[in-house]
Amino acid sequence: MTVPAINVEGLRFSYGDLEAVKGISFDVQPGEILGFLGPNGAGKSTTIKMLTGQITPKGGKAQVLGIDISADDADLQAQIGVCFEEKNLYLNMSAKENLDFYASLFGIKEPETMEILRRVGLAERAKDRVHTFSKGMRQRMMISRAFVNKPKVLFLDEPTDGLDPVTSASIRKTIREEADRGAAVLLTTHDMFEADELSDRIAFLNDGEIVAIDTAENLKLKYGTRSVKVRLRDGAGVREEHIELASDGSSARLAELAASPDLLTIHTEEATLEKIFIELTGRGLAG
Amino acid sequence: MSRIVSRPAIIRALLKKELKAYSRDKVYLFLTLLVLIAIPLTYKFMPSKVNETITLAVSPSVSSMVEDAKDSLKAMGATDAQLAELDNADLSQEQEGLLLIEFDNEEDMQSVVEGKLEAWRAEDGALILRDPETDQDKPPNAEKLGLDIGIAFPKDFISNVAAGKSGVAVTVYSDANVPEEIQGAMTSFVREAAYQLAGKQLPVTMADDASIVLGTDRAGDQVSLKDKLRPMLIFMVLLMETFSMASLVSTEVLQRTVTAVLVTPAKTSDFLIAKTIFGTAMSMGQGLFVLLLVGGLTAGNWSLVLATLLMGSMMFTGIALFVGSSGKDFMGQLFYSMLFMIPLLIPSFSVLFPGTAASWVRVIPTYPIIDTLVGAFNYSMTWSDAAGSLAYAAVWVVALFGAGLFTLKRKVKSL
Repeated sequence: MTVPAINVEGLRFSYGDLEAVKGISFDVQPGEILGFLGPNGAGKSTTIKMLTGQITPKGGKAQVLGIDISADDADLQAQIGVCFEEKNLYLNMSAKENLDFYASLFGIKEPETMEILRRVGLAERAKDRVHTFSKGMRQRMMISRAFVNKPKVLFLDEPTDGLDPVTSASIRKTIREEADRGAAVLLTTHDMFEADELSDRIAFLNDGEIVAIDTAENLKLKYGTRSVKVRLRDGAGVREEHIELASDGSSARLAELAASPDLLTIHTEEATLEKIFIELTGRGLAG
Repeated sequence: MSRIVSRPAIIRALLKKELKAYSRDKVYLFLTLLVLIAIPLTYKFMPSKVNETITLAVSPSVSSMVEDAKDSLKAMGATDAQLAELDNADLSQEQEGLLLIEFDNEEDMQSVVEGKLEAWRAEDGALILRDPETDQDKPPNAEKLGLDIGIAFPKDFISNVAAGKSGVAVTVYSDANVPEEIQGAMTSFVREAAYQLAGKQLPVTMADDASIVLGTDRAGDQVSLKDKLRPMLIFMVLLMETFSMASLVSTEVLQRTVTAVLVTPAKTSDFLIAKTIFGTAMSMGQGLFVLLLVGGLTAGNWSLVLATLLMGSMMFTGIALFVGSSGKDFMGQLFYSMLFMIPLLIPSFSVLFPGTAASWVRVIPTYPIIDTLVGAFNYSMTWSDAAGSLAYAAVWVVALFGAGLFTLKRKVKSL
């Protein structure tokens, strides 16, 4: 059995009286992307802060690469990469200088800065100061900084938040490449499309608790309803018929409609992650 | 890719980054250049000599008063020898710091003291009056006299005084800016002059050794304003550097770049050490640079000056760490800067008036630093002389530096 890159048991944290994380448990295997899906305030960022040593848990246990996170171990810090939600870059330094600086904190004498910048499409702007960068470029810088030490575990907090679709797609591609390299990725997002496309497994986090954790496929099968929408010509107009695939006689009815000369289109109606989230928590992902 | 990184390597990397961030910020650069250029320039144009002579205007001239009084005095029974002695009476004691400028006309003297006329002294000693509003040209080869006090004696002053008359009126004119104590001293001078002119001896005489100067007698060798200001200028360098350092710290805190540093092998202690070294080195370096430009380091005092400068640099770095981590935004930082800087600046003004610092000023943390710098620069203070001040300063350095580190550490942990 593979040793998980991240192993969390009963982890909890509170800000004063407010319990932000209520004893969550999960693990992430090497090369796996676990998407933490939940609305703002669900406890996603707090979990990442605990696992990266920024704050100390108030309870529970967690190990990253087999090292207890409360040990404040520099060897652990050397093997992780973090992308923060806020774009905390040195604005008066160039893209290359930013990465070189972080590489030097990891003791990397010959950093592959240009290669990393090329991967995120910033090689041509390597010498430009970050304050001249657009929001999307800064976000790509944030991602590239997390890669600078070729980490075994990546913590990515809302890596595509507020970006245009093209930039988001480019960042998602890069994250997938890191996972393919063997890095375990813990990704927080409230974008259900991103979670669905990128994550090997998804954890629904709501009000500090994991309400469901599985692959997107299994979640949809387990919590969603499968149906087919059939559109048929009806005189001068169009009529629609919904068929629940799990219901009795659904196969026969579908075959009958498919053979109909009035058939226009057939649409599969798969449950979205957002619908499942709402069903499980009674609230949407946006809030 | 796991590798062990040494603490010195991390601190070196942080210091390199600090230097880069510092050199890239236009505000820091402006402040630094301002300090390194403006302060030595200010020093260069300060007066380097101390005028220890008090210049006093009198009217009418002493010789004319004596001449006018001779007949009356003869009638009162004065001998020729006594009259000859009166001829030789010299109220002017330039070598003792008193220069008399004699006016024939009281109104002219009043105008000069009032500033309506200028008084110039030619090379041969002749007095030249000039109306600055109507006379275009300044008198050639003449020295302008600064006359703020004038004494108008009545025409028959000597004879009346000699006759023992009471109520002899003398008018003292003084510019509005002349301090009250100087006006009082002039009154005493008039009384003494009256006694002398009347041929009487003052009831109190001062033997040469009756006035004892404690410490080094600086008579004729007073510390010039330029040199008095030297410690204050060094102090200004430290203050300005504090603003820069506080700004550097607050930028790191407000932009949360520090959180990105602390998820690497770098620890909070590395971050604090790097800030401390950088802040102290920048303050010390700039202080030393200005010190070399304005002089002050001698073979006798260099170690004391450098040690004091180091303590001052550390004290201000501690304050910068506190200020930089306390303000939630620029205005907050400005507020805390002012809150600290204004009180800390007060002792530096006391150097202009040695010995005048009130007891509450001596309590201010910067007082022992500035006091030692003044002593080392201008009064040959030694290590043993400075031991008390340095010990007191050390307590404040530890307290302020500790407070700065504690506040910054808490702030970093709370991000």
